[in-house]
Amino acid sequence: MVAASIVKNASSESGGITAISGISSNILIVDDRKENLIATEKVLKNLDSTIFKAGSGNEALSLMLRHRFAVILLDVQMPEMDGFETAALMQDHESMRGVPIIFVTAISKEEKYATQAAAIGAVDYIFKPINPEILRSKVKVYIDLYRQHEQILQLNKTLSQSNEELERFAYICSHDMQEPVRMMNSYADILNEEYRQFLDARAQKYLEFIKGNASHLQKMIFDILTFSRVGREEPRTEHIDCNQMVREVLEEFKPVIERKQAHIACDPLPGLEGCPTLMHVLFQNLIGNALKFQDGSRQPTISIQVEFANGEWTFSVQDNGIGIDPAFNDRVFAIFQRIHRKEDYPGTGIGLSTCKKFVEFYGGKIWFQSAPGKGSIFFFTILDHTRVAS
Amino acid sequence: MNILLVEDNEGDIELTQHAFKRGGLVSQLAIAHDGVEAIDYLSRRGAFSDAVEPDLILLDLNMPRMGGRQFLEIVKQDEKLKCIPVIVLTSSDAPKDIRECYERQANCYILKPFDLQKFMVMVKQVEDFWINVVQLPHQAVATR
Repeated sequence: MVAASIVKNASSESGGITAISGISSNILIVDDRKENLIATEKVLKNLDSTIFKAGSGNEALSLMLRHRFAVILLDVQMPEMDGFETAALMQDHESMRGVPIIFVTAISKEEKYATQAAAIGAVDYIFKPINPEILRSKVKVYIDLYRQHEQILQLNKTLSQSNEELERFAYICSHDMQEPVRMMNSYADILNEEYRQFLDARAQKYLEFIKGNASHLQKMIFDILTFSRVGREEPRTEHIDCNQMVREVLEEFKPVIERKQAHIACDPLPGLEGCPTLMHVLFQNLIGNALKFQDGSRQPTISIQVEFANGEWTFSVQDNGIGIDPAFNDRVFAIFQRIHRKEDYPGTGIGLSTCKKFVEFYGGKIWFQSAPGKGSIFFFTILDHTRVAS
Repeated sequence: MNILLVEDNEGDIELTQHAFKRGGLVSQLAIAHDGVEAIDYLSRRGAFSDAVEPDLILLDLNMPRMGGRQFLEIVKQDEKLKCIPVIVLTSSDAPKDIRECYERQANCYILKPFDLQKFMVMVKQVEDFWINVVQLPHQAVATR
């Protein structure tokens, strides 16, 4: 019987629901006097919202069980259940709690009523006769807030969806793509080793192409995986001996260092609380780049330094390599951006973007200074709360 | 030493056979192309009525019909089969895969090396370890 007496506005009357942001919103007006309902409805007509009207507290609660509202206009004086009682019941209900309530009253104008209203969740307390312009603008604020909130919820949903897709993609990379690449590489090896006497020079060259590209593809898959894993795993920190970390990275590059006769100078580095994978990725990429981007005209010299200020370590890796043309400044940290030909300086174009994503995930920054033909310095920061405390 | 290789990729099957042939310590390398076939083999069902119970199982993870995880769940809950060591041999280095295999009582998890040389070395090490170093429950398995 309650539901039967409810009058719902046709959406055509409320004027294009989806007009502004495509997010619909509902307004609930509660008043025991029909002429008040009609008057208020008229005031709120052009707010791109659907207006629901209830003639009693019970009707209001019944509507709230079935719809979501951006804002409620609630008359204080009503028979059976007054506005305060209605609001108190709404506060008890999980799905109704938090909907902004604007009380409208003709007689209870004393301060104490307004205070009582605030205590049961009212966001405003206004007096009749209502000023249409003021009411409209107040209601509009709550409708805008509601729409923004809904938009954020929708965005979050989209985000978690694309995160799931990314996770699936990372998994496909790690398994399905690695397997065929490994097959290509292995069988190129077998042909090369066991069937070499049947292959002429050109066939051997083609095999090298297959093998070289399989290796490159494998490196790309590995790098994409590292990139996509950043941020998906829980932040994890432990004690790191940076000297040890750099020694390990230099050991990985030993053949290149020896071949290019590179000179490496490293400050005594600190022990710190950090993510070991992060530190390894940073040193590996920055030292690797410093060694790679050399044109052979001089002995590669690399210097690793560190400073502590304002609760963070700033590390720098400086080289005397080819430097970076300022024209490419904003592409340096972008994924899949290669500034040089692969033949001259091989790489996947993922390394520095992984560094940036990773370092920012842990609250740090990464940037560089460079002079073409003279060299580059890459800086990155690592937060260290333990040192401030001790 | 009898080994059952559960693997769907013909390239990998050939490669593993090739590597074990070099080692010369494995008398039989049986092939099952997915988990369903492997269970049939171990239960001596259908075409596998004269199958020899393997001393060791090499298991790939992602396969059609029944993958490695589900195969592990069945084998490790089977009173007769659970003693046979299962070595997971896969291209996946995903932490989730590694954890899920050990949770299902895999005996070890090996990443298939990218380089042929390293692959051969890995097979040699598997052969050496499981044939020369460890003691397997041959008796217990054989007398049932």
